[in-house]
Formats: sequence, C-alpha cells, structure tokens
Amino acid sequence: MKRRTFLERSSMAAALVLLRPSTLAAAWSENHFQQVSIEKAFLDVLGTKDFNRSSRITIAAPPVASDSSAVPVEISSTIKGDQLYLFVEKNITPLVFSCALHGGALPFLSLTVKMKESSLLYGVVREGGKYHMASVHVDVAVQAC
Amino acid sequence: MRILAKEDGGIVSLKVIIPHPNESGTRKDESGKVVPAYFIREGSVLLNGQPLFELQLGPSVSKDPFLQFRFAGKKGDRLNLRFIDSRKLEYVAEAAVV
Repeated sequence: MKRRTFLERSSMAAALVLLRPSTLAAAWSENHFQQVSIEKAFLDVLGTKDFNRSSRITIAAPPVASDSSAVPVEISSTIKGDQLYLFVEKNITPLVFSCALHGGALPFLSLTVKMKESSLLYGVVREGGKYHMASVHVDVAVQAC
Repeated sequence: MRILAKEDGGIVSLKVIIPHPNESGTRKDESGKVVPAYFIREGSVLLNGQPLFELQLGPSVSKDPFLQFRFAGKKGDRLNLRFIDSRKLEYVAEAAVV
C-alpha cells in the first residue's frame, strides 16, 4: 500500500494517542548514533566490519530517489534473525535503526529514510551472534537533507 | 500516531505513521540557522502484552516516520505501541488486529 493511500484511508481505526513526559530511563544507545564513518559505525554497533554477504536478505529501495527526504526502504530476510539493522553509508549518522525481534516477529521492516546524497544502503541481520549483510545503491537526484 | 494491523494467512502487516518533525540537527532553515535535532529515538511493539519489536532510531529517519512490520498473529490480537522522542515525550497507541 502506498503511503498516500494509507494516509487517506478513512476506515482506519483511530489510535489512542497520549503525550506525556517519559518517566523511564532512556535505553537509547547514543554511541550507536554518532556522526562517524560507515566503518566506525559498523564497529560501534556490531563490533565488526566483516560480514558474510547473504542472498537471503533483500533490500527494496528505488534505484533513483526523487525525494531524498523520504526514501522508502524495505528490508526482508528468510534468515530467522533476532536483530535487524539499516545503515546509509554516506549519511552523517550512518545507522538508521536497530530492531530486536521477539516471538512471532518476522525479519521485515519498511520505513522512510532521509538520504544526504547518493549512497550504498546496508541491511544487516543478526542470527545467533553472527551477522549477515546485503547492500543496494540508491541515487539521489536532488539533495534535501 | 495512526496504526493499522491487518491479518492475512496468519501473517499480520502492521503499518504505523507517527506525525513528527524528526529534525536531524543538520538541516538549516531559511535564515541559514541550524534547526536543532529533535527525533524519535525509541519504539516498542507489544503483542498481547509480550515484547514483539524493540527499536532504536536515529536522525536519518524521515519526517512523519512511516514504518511497516510483519509478524505471526491472528485477528483480535492486541497491540500496544510506544515511541519516545529525544525530548522524552511519549507517543502511545493501542489497537486490535483486524
């Protein structure tokens, strides 16, 4: 489903939304989201920069992004992983997200990403402490970061 | 936050839109001033009270983040979502799988 269709879908259940300051201590890993090179980001986040390339990970993204402020990127894998990651090599902060998978969670995540310039995107799946990786290149037509 | 969770063949597709400026902290406004970083940093999805997804997000996520997840589930399953931004504001939603 396209984002616009989703936004316009009137039958969608209205969700309860609350706004209040969090009382919980932040678990956000600040050291994973630093302004560093992609190699340093791999080392900081994964502890290694050597991975097996895997054909069992698919990254779906447009080869040319017309709007670099919201590039739709989808990672999916047939590896029964417990953690998913997405990195954009040329972004100032390369790690886009990390996501832990529990229970019936499938190794699939789609989201909209800002891109500073044309770059490789790396999708990483962790399976029992081992990392598997796939990459795609996305060209950015107009900068909008 | 708007969420929709639809089951088909035992697989639930969960779509989430969080209206949020999600400023990276590197963008400049019209007057050339850097707009301070302000973005969603953490998220969690619970299925019937049990952890399903736990996310950490950086400033590279777009404005008004649109996220899609998949998991094994059935109609009527309860979902609880919670996101927290860099000012520690919480965005909470709940829904049933349809």
